[in-house]
Amino acid sequence: MAAPIQFPFADEIELPPEMEGWEEMYAPQRLFSKDREAWEKRHFWYHDKIHAADPLYPLDDIFQEAWQIALSQYNTRVFCIPPAQGVAQRILGCYMYISAVESPPGDVIQKKAELFGKRVPYTFDNYARQWEEWLVKFHKLGHDMEAIHIPKELYEFVPDEDVIPTPKGFTEANVLMENFNDIVNLIIRAWQYHFQYLNLAYLAYLMFVDTSRKLFPGIKEGTIGKMVAGADVSMFRPEEELCRLSRLAMSHRSVAEVLKQKGTAEEKMNILRTTPEGKAWIEEMDKIKNPWFYVSNGSGWFHYEGSWINTMDLPFSYMQSYVERLEKGETIERKLESISEERERIVAEYKALIRSEDDRKTFEDAHRVVRSIYRYAEDHLFWVEHWLHTIWFERIDQFGKILTKHGVLGEPEDIYLFNRFEVPMLLEDLATAWALGEGVPTRGPFWQAKAEKRKKILEAAAKWNPTPAIGVPPEQIAEPFTLMLWGVTTDLVQEWLKGAGMEVGDLDEITGFPSSAGVAEGPARVLKMLADVAKLEPGEIMVAPTTNPSWAPVFTKIKAAVTDIGGLTSHAAIVSREYGLPSVTGTGVATQVIKTGDIIRVDGSTGKVTIVKRV
Amino acid sequence: MPDQWIYWLSELSKDHNDIVGKKCANLGELTQAGFHVPPGFALSVVAYDRFMKETEATERVLKILSHFKADAESVADTEKFDILSKEVRSTVESIALPPDMEKTIREYYAELCRQTGKEDLFVATRSAGPVSHPGQYETYLNVSGADDVVKYVRSVWASTFNTRSIIARARLGLKLEYDPIGVAVLTMVDAKAAGVMFSLNPINGDESKVSMEAGFGFGEAVVSGNVNPDRYLVDKITLEIDERVISDKGSEFAYNPETRKMEYKELPADQKKLPCLEDREIIELARLAKKVEAHFGVPQDIEFAVSGSLPFPESIYLVQARPESAWGKKKKESVLGKKTGFELLFEKATTPIKLKLD
Repeated sequence: MAAPIQFPFADEIELPPEMEGWEEMYAPQRLFSKDREAWEKRHFWYHDKIHAADPLYPLDDIFQEAWQIALSQYNTRVFCIPPAQGVAQRILGCYMYISAVESPPGDVIQKKAELFGKRVPYTFDNYARQWEEWLVKFHKLGHDMEAIHIPKELYEFVPDEDVIPTPKGFTEANVLMENFNDIVNLIIRAWQYHFQYLNLAYLAYLMFVDTSRKLFPGIKEGTIGKMVAGADVSMFRPEEELCRLSRLAMSHRSVAEVLKQKGTAEEKMNILRTTPEGKAWIEEMDKIKNPWFYVSNGSGWFHYEGSWINTMDLPFSYMQSYVERLEKGETIERKLESISEERERIVAEYKALIRSEDDRKTFEDAHRVVRSIYRYAEDHLFWVEHWLHTIWFERIDQFGKILTKHGVLGEPEDIYLFNRFEVPMLLEDLATAWALGEGVPTRGPFWQAKAEKRKKILEAAAKWNPTPAIGVPPEQIAEPFTLMLWGVTTDLVQEWLKGAGMEVGDLDEITGFPSSAGVAEGPARVLKMLADVAKLEPGEIMVAPTTNPSWAPVFTKIKAAVTDIGGLTSHAAIVSREYGLPSVTGTGVATQVIKTGDIIRVDGSTGKVTIVKRV
Repeated sequence: MPDQWIYWLSELSKDHNDIVGKKCANLGELTQAGFHVPPGFALSVVAYDRFMKETEATERVLKILSHFKADAESVADTEKFDILSKEVRSTVESIALPPDMEKTIREYYAELCRQTGKEDLFVATRSAGPVSHPGQYETYLNVSGADDVVKYVRSVWASTFNTRSIIARARLGLKLEYDPIGVAVLTMVDAKAAGVMFSLNPINGDESKVSMEAGFGFGEAVVSGNVNPDRYLVDKITLEIDERVISDKGSEFAYNPETRKMEYKELPADQKKLPCLEDREIIELARLAKKVEAHFGVPQDIEFAVSGSLPFPESIYLVQARPESAWGKKKKESVLGKKTGFELLFEKATTPIKLKLD
């Protein structure tokens, strides 16, 4: 056997000099370290393009920290999936690398198996009730976050009513510090909820994949996906609301005409407000904005992505194209009922092919198990990454504003350049100076200089090409999340290795998951930064690191979809199948190899993407 | 045994297997079930029987055989069988049909020409045995005109005296002078492509797939293995084309109007690697395979042809269907072992996770 090829270890990687000092931006436990070297070198780390394709802003890193703990504990300590442990993170050069942790010793597996056998069947049997309870508790958490008071500025003197008849006992400066801690606690709690059922949903899915494969060796991943998909999930609701609003506009011609006009969302809303029909339409839109416009323009993981609610031009551009299509007599809605019917038909027909009575019963039971919980995989995504993150970013912006107002920061969004352990220092600095009295300086210039330096580091990091992985690749990858969500398979890692020493620009053909059948050829549109959706022209082939729910309307415009990362049930794969578009996901390098304007051919049956002609 | 010796395909069903042969019975069954099958008619074993007995054929064959001695097991004697075969065949081929039979065959052929609106319609005359004689007897393609139809019907009958058949009969201790078979007279499809499909994946027995092999021109090329066919695997339920392998097909099997023969013709270089079927044709074929399987209740082995002159989907013809033999008969054992969903889940959850190379 040939000597194993490997990726460099962390300490062998050289970073550009402009990135010097990058380590300071993140908490020490998040970095590769000499003191943990032996353990770190036993593990295989790969760049997490799903959650952190771009260099990580320190404050945005809070979600990563939160998921490391939450995901891992449900495997290791809560539902106790016997041999599975957590997924560990390390930041290197502003990029996040992750690794599935090696299995625990046999006696631990044994103990976990007993707990698993007791806890997991109970959860599946009671899932319907538990989901209702989950929603209530999650909504409450979101509303608590919305209700957190963040002062717009610190008053010169505490107002009378806070002193007489009885002093309130604490001031807004104290509230400011407390409330940042509160909001941090809420977001970390939300992430605990995020993983409440996700591991089990993925595990059930993988079980169903195995079961289906034993019966039908050649069954496609996409077909299994169709057998478990829920049609009326929250993830699709924002788009459904846009369709509904577009139809409503069609019933009042004048509203439809305004939506079709050139101009910004703001301009269109101003015109609509001048007529009764327009006003009525806006009222209808306002009713559903929270929660259904609380959908990120990107993945929901980064403050700079924005969401529909604060970049209204985006939903308005979608509605404009919907109105135009309605005028042409086209249908704009996803046919939800037909998706459910199709699911039932597929399940019934496969079942009918099973000739052994016993196997048919087992298959039915396996399907029942996966269906009882799988919807969670799609639903939680809207509530956590979209709705709640939108609220979080809006609240954090308020902290940024007050820090800027009092000269601690140069600009509100600079708050994201400080990690969640540092922001309390900035707030304390402000509170202290305010408490000490008039004319007392903060360390504003110090923080601002730090912010400037960090901006430069992040810019340099964006230009740097991070290695896809670190360390020795495993013989076999079987951790459920690694496979399901990241789509990192044993074969894929080997592909990465092949490409490791190669200029990716030289590749004419790349391979990924054949995730939605069909062949399409056309010009590529590479959407590297997730906020570029609006540039897409009809008939182009979208090439993106990954996609997410707020991009759904885009799928009505494109011919095919290609992603760098995307596992067995990634968003791009699910939606492409529903719209009947070819797609190839998990190519690893599509956004590096393909340039906007290249003519590419996507074969969703073989997983091959070919560059036919370069620009 | 009935007196009737000739049938339209549309009059036949599985029940007629013993008198017209499996091929015709199955095509009749398919026709009756509403599938698009080339129209034609069938001569039953009764026709063979009448021909051999009502003419001097049997006597003359017996006369030739009376002097004949050879050991069927001996390779050296193969030559003797060969000489005998040639003599018997040419003798049989020289004997006129009973006049009423010839007249009826001519009438049926005329009716077939009328139905299809074509003068001197091209037909295939094929053997159709009640028991399978795969590839044993002769088939004549592109037969045209009533005279030739009558002539080649008799040639098919005479082919029961080809060398390997009489050796086979001699080995089995069967009568050498007599092996009643049916004859199918089928309209030729002017095939631009043709092939074979199974309503399962023959590689692993996966019954959720239709596997398909096809080449340009007539189906013989694929059946005989003389060209590298294109291969497709279609999901029976989603009707998605899961796999496609486009081969270098080299040549096509086609009718040469000059020689009036079916011949292998080298394809132009730029056509060799073109797919021989369109996606919609592949999907329609898979749909049909699924229906045929549902009709017969077991996995099927189906031959098909795609006409080059008719519009889709009328262009698609089924030209044969029979039970798939390798996997179809197997009784399915349980592969999941009576487990509940939770048991499967537990199994999945306890699969060891390997993370290291060493």
